[in-house]
Amino acid sequence: MISGRIILNREIAKDHFLISLKLSNHFGSAESPFQGTSPGQFVMLRVKGKEFPLLGRPMSIYSIYPGDNGFIIELLYMVVGKGTYIISRLKPDEEVYILGPLGRGFDIFPDRGCVVLVAGGVGIAPLSFLGEHCRKGAVNRSLKIICYVGARRSDLLVGLDRMGEMCSDIRISTDDGSRGYHGFVTELFQRDIISFSSSDSVVYSCGPSPMMKRLAEVLKDHPVPCQVSVEERMACGVGACLGCTINTKSGYKRVCKDGPVFDIKAIDWE
Amino acid sequence: MSVNIGDLELKNPVMTASGTFGYGEEYSHYIDLNRLGALIVKGISFGKREGNPPHRIMETPCGMLNAIGLENVGVRSFVDDKLPFLEKFDVPVIVNIFGETVSEYRRVAEALSNVRGVSGLEVNISCPNVSKGGVEFGADPGVAYEVTREVKSVTDLPVMVKLTPNVTSIVEIAESVEEGGADTISLINTLKGMSVDIEERVPYLKNITGGLSGPAIKPLALRMVWEVVNRVSIPVIGIGGIMNATDAIEFLIVGAGAVQIGTANFVNPRATIDILEGIEDYLIKHGIHDINDLIGTLKV
Repeated sequence: MISGRIILNREIAKDHFLISLKLSNHFGSAESPFQGTSPGQFVMLRVKGKEFPLLGRPMSIYSIYPGDNGFIIELLYMVVGKGTYIISRLKPDEEVYILGPLGRGFDIFPDRGCVVLVAGGVGIAPLSFLGEHCRKGAVNRSLKIICYVGARRSDLLVGLDRMGEMCSDIRISTDDGSRGYHGFVTELFQRDIISFSSSDSVVYSCGPSPMMKRLAEVLKDHPVPCQVSVEERMACGVGACLGCTINTKSGYKRVCKDGPVFDIKAIDWE
Repeated sequence: MSVNIGDLELKNPVMTASGTFGYGEEYSHYIDLNRLGALIVKGISFGKREGNPPHRIMETPCGMLNAIGLENVGVRSFVDDKLPFLEKFDVPVIVNIFGETVSEYRRVAEALSNVRGVSGLEVNISCPNVSKGGVEFGADPGVAYEVTREVKSVTDLPVMVKLTPNVTSIVEIAESVEEGGADTISLINTLKGMSVDIEERVPYLKNITGGLSGPAIKPLALRMVWEVVNRVSIPVIGIGGIMNATDAIEFLIVGAGAVQIGTANFVNPRATIDILEGIEDYLIKHGIHDINDLIGTLKV
């Protein structure tokens, strides 16, 4: 666990925050644990010196890059309860604890020419990191990255600018029709599904559970590989407490250690 | 810093609490397991258990509720797959055991006796999250006595019995397990509680109720340890909301021979080591050369 000094903690849409942290060097070790962080991994962010919130809050990594003498990490989060509300009130220069990077990230398929990202709300964070990673590591200059982004309303669409820079195409939906396609992002994706070759494409998704459940339904009979990053309330973040399990077709799995990335077909969405 | 807990000699009084430290490996990247007084692993039943459906946890003010349901790999897989990793360390491993029937407790105890790398058993008669076994055994003095006696009859390992606070008189249960032959008593397990989502009007835990742990329960745990220490003559291990060295020292002063660290591991993976170092600092600051000169020194 290391200290992170807040550089900024800004509300970018109603109840949606971007927090940027400067991570201290790992105590007693020359190498930062964040060396080689992979897209889809997460951190536990905990407020210092408080007994509430007691536990850290798991957040997917939005971006990470070397700063002077340490790493800078960015996270996107939504205020959903008292814990995230308290985090949202923290000011620049205040410090938090960061444990990570944790979990198993997305599998990369370098031989596939088309990466399809399906994002809902702050779920865009790990997909943006992934898109950037794929773009940088692309052997094939013609790699296509297509991103579907959905939100309830146009003012709740976050992370579009950065996503736009790395994507060949960005397709937007809102539940109320205030921007882009009027309806769910999974419907928008379903309309195009026939254009994605199952042998040359790979789909990655992150968003609210009902959205990913609909995506699972859409992809039920489709052979294209799809990986999703899921969330669950966590205590330890390291696989010890067994608190964050989800139901999969091969029994309960720990989101923190066996995930947070799973094959969409492996999860029991019921 | 060394303490004797019955026949167990520990290099210090800081142990991990069962269910909060996995099988040890999960935390081995964060701390040096060799420094622990003892390591108590996740509760083991005879066969593998899937545990309860999610959601299993919820944070509450200064604490958390859990209803894991004793998910574990079963005794055979524990011995074959989990224990070898721990043998690399110089730390006594105490295995928390659990059964749905008295005979299952006996079978698990038998399976772990004469296994290299197992230094003791902690008998869990106190889990609030399973429908059979667990709390029922720990809530009835007669049954608590019987489970303890059965386990003792099949093993030469030191036997620690872990008590539930969800009873009218924990002292009565403590006396029963002492009579049943327990070498040590550990307390407390979690307090049964619940939490409701008022928007959906559903419990936050699928199991409806769960066990409350964390700083919220510490004063109550401390009071119960104090009461039990005054009534039994076997060593007592203090558990319940210990987050830092001050908390741990409070338990030692009221008479706990050692402490177990639980929820604090989730908050800070280095909690056990921070607590250990904090106790050492306290001893130095107060000119105490032997930790045993601190244990049970409450002035009333």
